Amino acid sequence: MSWLAAVRARLRLIFARGAAETRMDEEVAFHIEMESDRLVREERLSAGEARRRALVTFGGITQHKEELRDGRGLAWLSGRSLDMKLGFRMLVKYPGLTIVGGLAMAFAIWAGAVIFVLVTMLVNPTLPLPGGDRIVQIRNWDVAASAAEPRALHDFIVWREAVSSVTDLGAYRDVTTNLIVSDNDTRQVRQVQAAEITASGFRIASATPLFGRVFVAADERVGAPAVAVLGYDVWRTQFDANRNVLGRTVQVGETYATVIGVMPEGFAFPVSHELWTPLRVDALDRAPREGPAITVFGRLAPGVTMQQAQAELTTLGKLSAVELPNTHEHLQPQVVPYAKLFLDATALNVAILFSINVFAIMLLVLVCSNVALLLFARAATRENELVVRSALGASRGRIIAQLFAEALVLGGVAAVVGLAAADLVLHGWALQFLKENFGRLPFWYDPHLSVATVLYASALTLLSATIAGVLPALKITRGFGSRLRAGSAGGGGPQLGGVWTAVIIAQIAITVAFPALAFVEQRELLRIRSFDAGFRSQQYLSVMLDMDESTGAGANADAIQAAQRERFVAAVEGLRRRVAAEPGVAGVTFVDRLPRWYHRERLIELGDALTVPGQSGASEPLREVSTASIDPSYFDVLNAPILQGRAFNSGDLAPGGRAVIVDQSFVDQVLAGRNAIGQRVRFAAMQRDGNLPDESRPWYEIVGVVKELGMGAATQHGRAAGLYLPAIPGSGGPINMIVHVRAEPMSLAPRVQTLASRVDPTLRVSEPQRLDEITKGVQWVLGMWLRVTVLLTAIALLLSLAGIYAVLSFIVARRTREIGVRVALGASPRRVVAAIFRRPLTQVCLGVLAGGMLIGGAAVALSGGGFSLEQVGALVAYACLMLAVCSLACVVPTWRALRVEPTEALRAE
Amino acid sequence: MSVTIRAQSDVLRGSLDLLVLKTLSLIPMHGWGISQRIQQISSGVLEVNQGSLYPALQRLEKNGLITSDWGTTDNNRRARYYRLTAAGRRALGQELESWKRFAAGLDAVLRSS
Repeated sequence: MSWLAAVRARLRLIFARGAAETRMDEEVAFHIEMESDRLVREERLSAGEARRRALVTFGGITQHKEELRDGRGLAWLSGRSLDMKLGFRMLVKYPGLTIVGGLAMAFAIWAGAVIFVLVTMLVNPTLPLPGGDRIVQIRNWDVAASAAEPRALHDFIVWREAVSSVTDLGAYRDVTTNLIVSDNDTRQVRQVQAAEITASGFRIASATPLFGRVFVAADERVGAPAVAVLGYDVWRTQFDANRNVLGRTVQVGETYATVIGVMPEGFAFPVSHELWTPLRVDALDRAPREGPAITVFGRLAPGVTMQQAQAELTTLGKLSAVELPNTHEHLQPQVVPYAKLFLDATALNVAILFSINVFAIMLLVLVCSNVALLLFARAATRENELVVRSALGASRGRIIAQLFAEALVLGGVAAVVGLAAADLVLHGWALQFLKENFGRLPFWYDPHLSVATVLYASALTLLSATIAGVLPALKITRGFGSRLRAGSAGGGGPQLGGVWTAVIIAQIAITVAFPALAFVEQRELLRIRSFDAGFRSQQYLSVMLDMDESTGAGANADAIQAAQRERFVAAVEGLRRRVAAEPGVAGVTFVDRLPRWYHRERLIELGDALTVPGQSGASEPLREVSTASIDPSYFDVLNAPILQGRAFNSGDLAPGGRAVIVDQSFVDQVLAGRNAIGQRVRFAAMQRDGNLPDESRPWYEIVGVVKELGMGAATQHGRAAGLYLPAIPGSGGPINMIVHVRAEPMSLAPRVQTLASRVDPTLRVSEPQRLDEITKGVQWVLGMWLRVTVLLTAIALLLSLAGIYAVLSFIVARRTREIGVRVALGASPRRVVAAIFRRPLTQVCLGVLAGGMLIGGAAVALSGGGFSLEQVGALVAYACLMLAVCSLACVVPTWRALRVEPTEALRAE
Repeated sequence: MSVTIRAQSDVLRGSLDLLVLKTLSLIPMHGWGISQRIQQISSGVLEVNQGSLYPALQRLEKNGLITSDWGTTDNNRRARYYRLTAAGRRALGQELESWKRFAAGLDAVLRSS
């Protein structure tokens, strides 16, 4: 095949460079020898003369060899490798620029790569299961409510019978429950994320157990023995990785189940589950749009496309709408890739997520513009070298290519550093950051550097090298010809134009603004850390109490709920008694929202007797207050004395009880300091077209006043006005139990768990924490932002200083002759410095001014008020400090300018 | 049929390439041999610039029209022997045809004047 021969020949010519050179030499030598022999033979010349004639006839050997080399297509390659070598040499020769520019580019590439990984993971998740792209979810979408309808048990049964385009159709129900493992005398309780799942789930996930077995269809039948499959982590921690666990009986909520298998490490299908029990569809309420929330999944049948499956489901949906108009009129079944359903991938969401990538690219462009400035200054100092190269025949393109290659080398090194840092951050921080923000994470969220990320980072590197290398090169090489003709490389060279000036000013402004941002974050962090709860929070343990949902079939839903609530209240009360009886426990109480955490904010209307002076009762504004429902013992357990009036008593819990207690902040802010006792308040209705007083709601009477006890979240500013309502613990759903412990509070947590499981196996205890540590998560996130801001500040500062330094060096280099002449004419050093540095110093001043205004503007916008004299003073002092820091960058160039000897400056030209 | 006088195809740049292909169509040959053969056959009319022969050979090889291997000459010297590939043979046929039409056209024009 001719093309194959051609390709082979080309590759051989390009890559077997040594062999090609040898061949060329041999061929030429052979040719000269043959020709010499012929001349000796035919023309009777002497050997020496014959060789001379042969060489003459052949022509310039070197020239022909060059022609051959060019023909091999290697010329450009050897040129590029030379450029690269030069690029590496430049890295070493200008270490300052390498460090500053390289770090800045590395940071931009790091940010780009990390954001790319996270966005890709969220927008385009891949399921790490065999044939994961063909696993789908089927859900009912209520078009009237624009929401998914998860109560799909009835439809699941219909689909399982009728659908042929999706195989292995299965379903699961998400259950948070207690796993109770009892030995002879010990009892371990752990809250687990369990999935009640059909046997097909394990087929879909192509999962084989570590040992034992997974579910089979028989396990799903009502009346079959209760069984459970354990996750690897549960097996390891609760059973010490003991293989004899098979056949053991464990308690999963109220059910006693036999362990039949253990899944391998990392298995968490369907989402992030750690224990599996069979989903017994027949035991559940199967009426249309009734029963528990389930998720339906399956695998596309071989050869079937997503559209075909959707078409089949749509047809079934229409049939259901006709048969069950009351429940299914607005329901449309949807087939969606399995992993995509967890982030609602609407076009808007995707666009927003992708725009974060754009932000990263903009950051890169900004950073690289700055690096371009540095490289421009460096190129300007090397102008003579470049002009000489041009004079020796290097084209403009060739010189641009050289400067591009230098920037590419710098970018390449930066990319390696950036990607290594990205890998570190993705492994160390990304998952924790996502967990802090989103809670449980699906098993397929595994942020790591992929081939696509490396390719993306390579593209970013190319872009950064283009900006940082080509832009300065274009500018520096403009007008080379005329400068050559003028015979001087010194005068009339490239100048720093308006764009660069703007870049420098903006850069300095940002540099000035960033430390202020870091300062604000640091202050916020300290404020949250030192936010006073009003009591000794470090002596208290808090746990969240909740109960497994009941799934009884057929009965009245309201009756079930009422029974469930009663059971929960009884369990909470039982737990209170048991915990209070523990040694070292000083008190137990309950509250719906923990102190220093977010509270329910409600609007209240003040009673008639409390009309604010100057306003009529009708126009009295509604006030927003933070509310908490507490057990009557709350203030007593927190050791918070009642400042006025009385505490709650059991009588206040009666159905008609209307007593409330307010805190001092309420008195100060809502009642303007007046006597609160006996005053009346009532909750207003929250309505779409404005919040209005609601005449139908009852009045409450303030019976007591307490000190402020963290009724606002630590992250909120200002004092929250607190209003407490008495409540029977557990009557309003999940509740926080607060335990005053004389020893280390956390040591009691496991005991509380055990006691709870004894009281009621379905009573769940979660989020055990010391009350002074509830803001730990927020502090972690804020601390991370602070670190990012400090990093950004450092990079902005470095770039700014390097930029100023580069610009001044550039100016000194460009005006050496002028400085020489001025000094020769007797100008004083001060005048010389003033003349040279007027412009850059103006830029620095403008930048600092702009940065100061930025901070001032932000402060005004955030606080909503003006400045105090002290604040203005602080701002001016800060601006002066930044001016001094920026001026530091001027020291070396100034010194260099002052050292210019007139004779040398003139001789150099 | 008219022949347009234009630059010849990309495959065969210049008449040197055509002469080399034609020479190699008879027998595989080394570089010096090719230059001698062209001179011989043209009775000294066509003299190949020996230095430019090798870039031409490299070009033809790169385009897959000829291929080369080391061999030994009659007097036992190591030499690089070139021979035509199938693609080279096809290209030679086409270019010969084209050349003949060109020559005939040229001849007709010259004769009429």
